[in-house]
Amino acid sequence: MKAMRKLLAYTFAWIAAITAGHLYLNVNWAVLMNDRLPLSKRKLNVAYIPVT
Amino acid sequence: MSNKMQAAFMVAPMAIALRAQGVPVKIVYLGHRYGSAVVVQKDGPVKKFTDLRGRVVAVPSRFSDERLILFRAMKINGMNPSEIHLVEMAPPDVAGALAAGAIDAFSMGEPFPSQSEMSGRGRVLFHAREYWPDFMSCVLVVRQDVIDHRPEAVQVLVDGIARSGLWLEEKERRRAHRTQAADFVGRYYYRQDPKLLRWALLKPEDRVKYEPLSPRKADFEIVTKLMRETGVLDREIAFEEYVDIRFAEGAAGQKPWKYEAGWAKAQ
Repeated sequence: MKAMRKLLAYTFAWIAAITAGHLYLNVNWAVLMNDRLPLSKRKLNVAYIPVT
Repeated sequence: MSNKMQAAFMVAPMAIALRAQGVPVKIVYLGHRYGSAVVVQKDGPVKKFTDLRGRVVAVPSRFSDERLILFRAMKINGMNPSEIHLVEMAPPDVAGALAAGAIDAFSMGEPFPSQSEMSGRGRVLFHAREYWPDFMSCVLVVRQDVIDHRPEAVQVLVDGIARSGLWLEEKERRRAHRTQAADFVGRYYYRQDPKLLRWALLKPEDRVKYEPLSPRKADFEIVTKLMRETGVLDREIAFEEYVDIRFAEGAAGQKPWKYEAGWAKAQ
């Protein structure tokens, strides 16, 4: 039983660490926050191509 | 169209074609003038434009000014459009394709002509200006709903581009500013070798020009006429239908940014 609880705790910690890493590395928070602002306050997204 | 982007720089014929097809966007400003060239193999057989007869020339898209410049040059040189075999090719591939002999020439925007020249394999046959004074390529396109509901934000964007253009063209500081821009933009935006962008911006210094950037009716009439003649625009379209000139007019009195390398921010 003790071993099972330990395993669950490690599993939970691992999932939490991976989730935190994903949220930090792969989610663009600036874009998400910008999308939640009122329309009049949002920054415009401007696309460009790396050629003239 | 999906509203992920509210504005974009794109080639002018693409913007006009989108508007003609009913997409609610307008051109509000230009990105630059010139900056496109036709490049051939450095020691190859093509010495003048008419030597391209029967050869394969790459263009970035059928909706590009780089394709239209070829048609304009063919007309001036008395050639038939069918005498050159045009192929569409992704711009990053053209310098390698030319060096390998897969194509005989390409018509592209910078920095690809510079890339080919820097490699020692390509030679500029002509810059766009030689056949098309005040040639333009990239334009700033904005969604109509943004123009309608947030004109002040569009004006801030256009004012910033106008001031950046003037900063790049400041006479006594032009060389220094272009060098700074090449270093900064190459490293932090385009992930390109700053040497390549320095070449594109400085050899010669007016290889790409950043003023005047106001959209002019006469310039666009040349584009739409060539688009009609070459089958990429299926109806007449009025200048006012695809251009909103008021933001360019609003930016007319702008002054260049005050900025030198090492400053924390521009003023």
